[in-house]
Amino acid sequence: MTTTQTPDLKMVAETAPAEAVNTMPMETPELIRRLVTDENICVLTFDRPDSAANIFDKAALMELSDHINYVMCNSNIKGLVLTSAKKSIFIAGADLTQLSKARTSDELRDMIELGQVVFNRLATLNIPTVAAIHGACVGGGYEVTLACDYRIASPDKVTKIGLPETQLGIIPAWGGSTRLPRLIGLPKALDVILGGKTLAAKPALKCGLVDDLVPREYLVEKACQLILKRGMKLRARKTKLAHKLTTLGPVVNMITKKVSKQVFAKTRGHYPAIPKALEVVTQGLSKSLDDSLALERDAILELGTTEACKNLIRIFFLQERAKKLTGVPADSAPEAKATPVKRVTVVGAGVMGGGIAQWSSARGLGVILRDINHEALAKGLAGIAKVYDQAVKRHAMTKLEARDGMDRISASPVDVPLHSVDVIIEAAVEKMDLKKKLFAHLDSLAGRETILASNTSALSITEIATATQHPERVIGIHFFNPVHRMQLVEVVVGKQTSPEVVRRSVKFVQQIGKLPVVVKDAPGFLVNRILMPYLIEAGHLFENGARVEDVDECMLEFGMPMGPLRLIDEVGVDVSHHVASDLASKFRDRMHCPEVLSKMMADELFGKKNGKGFYLHNKKGKEPTVNPRIDKYTSGTACAKLTREELRTRMVLLMINEAARCLEGGIVEEAADVDFGMIMGTGFAPFLGGPLRFADSVGIPHIVDEMKRLADEELRFTPCNLLQTLAGTGQKFYKS
Amino acid sequence: MVIVDGVRTPFSKMGTDLARLGPEELGRIVVSSLLTKTGLNPALIDEVIFGCVGQPADAANVARVIALRAGIPEHVPAFTVHRNCASGCEAFTQAYEKMLAGRGEIFVVGGTESMSQVPLLYTHQAAAKFAKLSRARSFGQKLGAMLSFRPSDFKPRIGLQLGLTDPVCGMNMGETAEVLAREHGITREKQDAFALESHQRAIAAREKLEAEICPIYPPSTKAVVTTDNGPRKEQTMEALAKLKPVFDRKNGTVTAGNASQITDGAVALLVMSEMKAAELGMTPLGVLTGYAYAGCDPQRMGLGPVYAIAEAERRTGITLDHADIVEINEAFAAQVIACLACLKSDEFAQKHLKRDHHVGKIPKDALNVNGGAIALGHPVGATGARLILTSLKELQRRDAKRALISLCVGGGQGAAIWLERN
Repeated sequence: MTTTQTPDLKMVAETAPAEAVNTMPMETPELIRRLVTDENICVLTFDRPDSAANIFDKAALMELSDHINYVMCNSNIKGLVLTSAKKSIFIAGADLTQLSKARTSDELRDMIELGQVVFNRLATLNIPTVAAIHGACVGGGYEVTLACDYRIASPDKVTKIGLPETQLGIIPAWGGSTRLPRLIGLPKALDVILGGKTLAAKPALKCGLVDDLVPREYLVEKACQLILKRGMKLRARKTKLAHKLTTLGPVVNMITKKVSKQVFAKTRGHYPAIPKALEVVTQGLSKSLDDSLALERDAILELGTTEACKNLIRIFFLQERAKKLTGVPADSAPEAKATPVKRVTVVGAGVMGGGIAQWSSARGLGVILRDINHEALAKGLAGIAKVYDQAVKRHAMTKLEARDGMDRISASPVDVPLHSVDVIIEAAVEKMDLKKKLFAHLDSLAGRETILASNTSALSITEIATATQHPERVIGIHFFNPVHRMQLVEVVVGKQTSPEVVRRSVKFVQQIGKLPVVVKDAPGFLVNRILMPYLIEAGHLFENGARVEDVDECMLEFGMPMGPLRLIDEVGVDVSHHVASDLASKFRDRMHCPEVLSKMMADELFGKKNGKGFYLHNKKGKEPTVNPRIDKYTSGTACAKLTREELRTRMVLLMINEAARCLEGGIVEEAADVDFGMIMGTGFAPFLGGPLRFADSVGIPHIVDEMKRLADEELRFTPCNLLQTLAGTGQKFYKS
Repeated sequence: MVIVDGVRTPFSKMGTDLARLGPEELGRIVVSSLLTKTGLNPALIDEVIFGCVGQPADAANVARVIALRAGIPEHVPAFTVHRNCASGCEAFTQAYEKMLAGRGEIFVVGGTESMSQVPLLYTHQAAAKFAKLSRARSFGQKLGAMLSFRPSDFKPRIGLQLGLTDPVCGMNMGETAEVLAREHGITREKQDAFALESHQRAIAAREKLEAEICPIYPPSTKAVVTTDNGPRKEQTMEALAKLKPVFDRKNGTVTAGNASQITDGAVALLVMSEMKAAELGMTPLGVLTGYAYAGCDPQRMGLGPVYAIAEAERRTGITLDHADIVEINEAFAAQVIACLACLKSDEFAQKHLKRDHHVGKIPKDALNVNGGAIALGHPVGATGARLILTSLKELQRRDAKRALISLCVGGGQGAAIWLERN
């Protein structure tokens, strides 16, 4: 909203008495509009021109500073309101491009200090200040409101409030780490800051991040009323006794001890920002405001130069890039029509099909869920209902929203007309002849504009397409399991897939809030192709005497979210076996499916799905324990003596090698796509920046040497040409 | 007006498979399924009309709730109609009348009823006491209000029972059937034999009937319901004979076995002008050729079909002998048998229908050929629409031309609709 829409506010900025002190240079476009109401309340509206977002860069901070000057020089101004004119963003925080480009720590220090100084001046104004928040109010955007006396927010869906800095490897350093614990008490502040959380309006109110919720239309009016009615009382808030208690020395120590243990267990020391934030927040509490801000500053300067921070910020940018991806070359003809997808059909109500149906319906699409019989559909629907129930329990959606989602799914065990469906996603059994038959049939039912997509994780899209009259509309849209949690979707381009269909598919993936990566149609596509050599090697190491604990633990130490053998259990031993042997048949030179998997299947050890695999998964809510009888599947002792370090080296090297091969083979365009896919698709240690980034940081010559050493005994470790060339010429995967 | 397609839920006895689904949920499922089945773009629909007798308190204008929840865009209006047992017919003929008036060409119509979820009510006297209690502020007032309650205040009025009682003549529907049994000399054996045949025919038609059913996947179960659970394969005359009369315990003949079952279910039909159907390339099941509603004595409401069929003949000129199949809703066996008798009686025609000769005879093998409400059940708001759907599908199977469907209506009315395959 803009304040000009509010009838009782009049534009008087031009005639304001203190015009002379307005030192703002007017030649640059203004980022913040100022107007003064009849009642002499100054309303600052953040409204960055030509952008949907407001952010704090140097210019915006300077401009805010100028407005604060104006307010200080005008003794008749009774109060200050901060608000935004954007539809869905209040202020999205600091300009990360500027932050990440700060080449020296001096530049970073200047930026941090500027923000701290400006926000301090805001906080120490001798008039009441109110932030009227609608839309995303995160990071620096929330820190500026913490420097205000009072915060009101709209209850709208787009309103999201919090401090996500630690997710980017930094900490809130514009006063957030200092002011938040003083406002809401230590435990809650740690929860928000260490968790890098952003909250919806209602939970934000409950947590104390904001003081009241007011409909968007009344936000500014209400802010002005608060200033007129309560004046400086807005600042003199009563601190709750419970909050005070949590800031007492011994209590702080106790909390610190407990939290740091939890933090270590979760991060294994890979994310330095989190323990650092804990340190700054807890130590800052007993210090003066200035000293605490100094702690913040020193901490971010230290963190900002770490590899982890750089990698996490890079991933953030890669996510943003995926949201804007078109999937076709920039110079190709512009899109003919941009109608969003309304209806999809999902063929196959199994785990993947059900997951895709659930996610699509939750995102507002009508879904026809098709399977061959009632039983499959009933099972699929029950699974979908479970995901919805869990979302309601987590407060991720309301009961009504969940019901609406279920309502959008229409299950059918028989053929129905599909001519008005925008996208058909096939998620049936992974058998080529069956898929071909299915696609020939779907091709005849679908409308001319309908996209025919397969969720196959292994089969060739190009070959599937040969079964249809219109191979140009056949594409792979490959989701990951569980669909509602995995953000990545591979868009697999077959030989004949048209650019238009690629573009529409990428758009569809973005429309439902997933992150697309466009990949070439080749065995395993991108993610599974790189993941499988790693899982196969884990199986191989186990077969040859390595302990389950060691194989998994060494990869957890590396930063993977889950050990490889445990992952096999989660995916299912049978599914892993199927994918591994399929891929191994395509890459015989370097992959073969470990025999342990087929032996386990013969004994009905299927992994998590039946409670038995490398681990026992019986107890609900409890961590699975290593299957005590798993040792009988060990057939050698060659790897029994390897250290965890050596085990890890083998598995990681194979991942890097396959990642390099993907790049070499043009599966994706650039190294960043590989790393992005692996991080988003498998949870590959994000702070390492992905397998190729990791290779760069370790040094490619070193990687090649290691591989050659191992290849002397086992050929699968032979480094690919790309790795050898890069090593030979001293180049890296990434230029900078 | 043509009927393009239709679909219904399984009909499930009260308190069984569908008991947890309210009328809005049952309605949503059939409409959603109808849209999927026909592939119709829901934005083309001009209006949604649904019949429902026991309208849910938490989903007023249930047709609108059904339309929105089935994914029909919000610009499409919807309303609910109530003509007791003929509500499903009323929704259907309303669409036709709207079409004639130039108010739309494509309609989704139907009926929905959850007999399981008809609420229990408090008496007015008890409600007044609850209101007083909620207004009480001081402890004394609250105590006083609480003490004013008597045990009888907590005895609920059963909504279903109230709904099935005629407030004008004060008789329960079953009692009106007893009147017909007495006056037309319809013995218990005749009624039971009729009931047995209804079950036998419904059992024989199970597969045929399943073709018009959309499966229901009750939420949070892995179950699926695909078939009507009313028809009893092992039904015998002996078992029927053992049942006690419900409405006149001493001298009555109407039992739970020879009356319609109390059942949950919903039906949806897609109807449109003939031109629209051609334009959209849809092949209709049949066309509406005439209909009538007629009033009669509330105490003999079961004879409603006789009046309505005669009235439909007067309006259309189509005589009963043109019907290849006839459906007379089996509210009660006694009532259907009485209708058959009156339809072929000159005396009845002269006395009540202002015509010289009887209306006509219905051969046994043309009446309720796939069983009726005695076996399948009678979700009151939905039955009218089911008879339309079932008879059109039967015409298709028999490659026959005309069907007449008719229902008696509580409160002393009858409905009759002529359908034709082109």
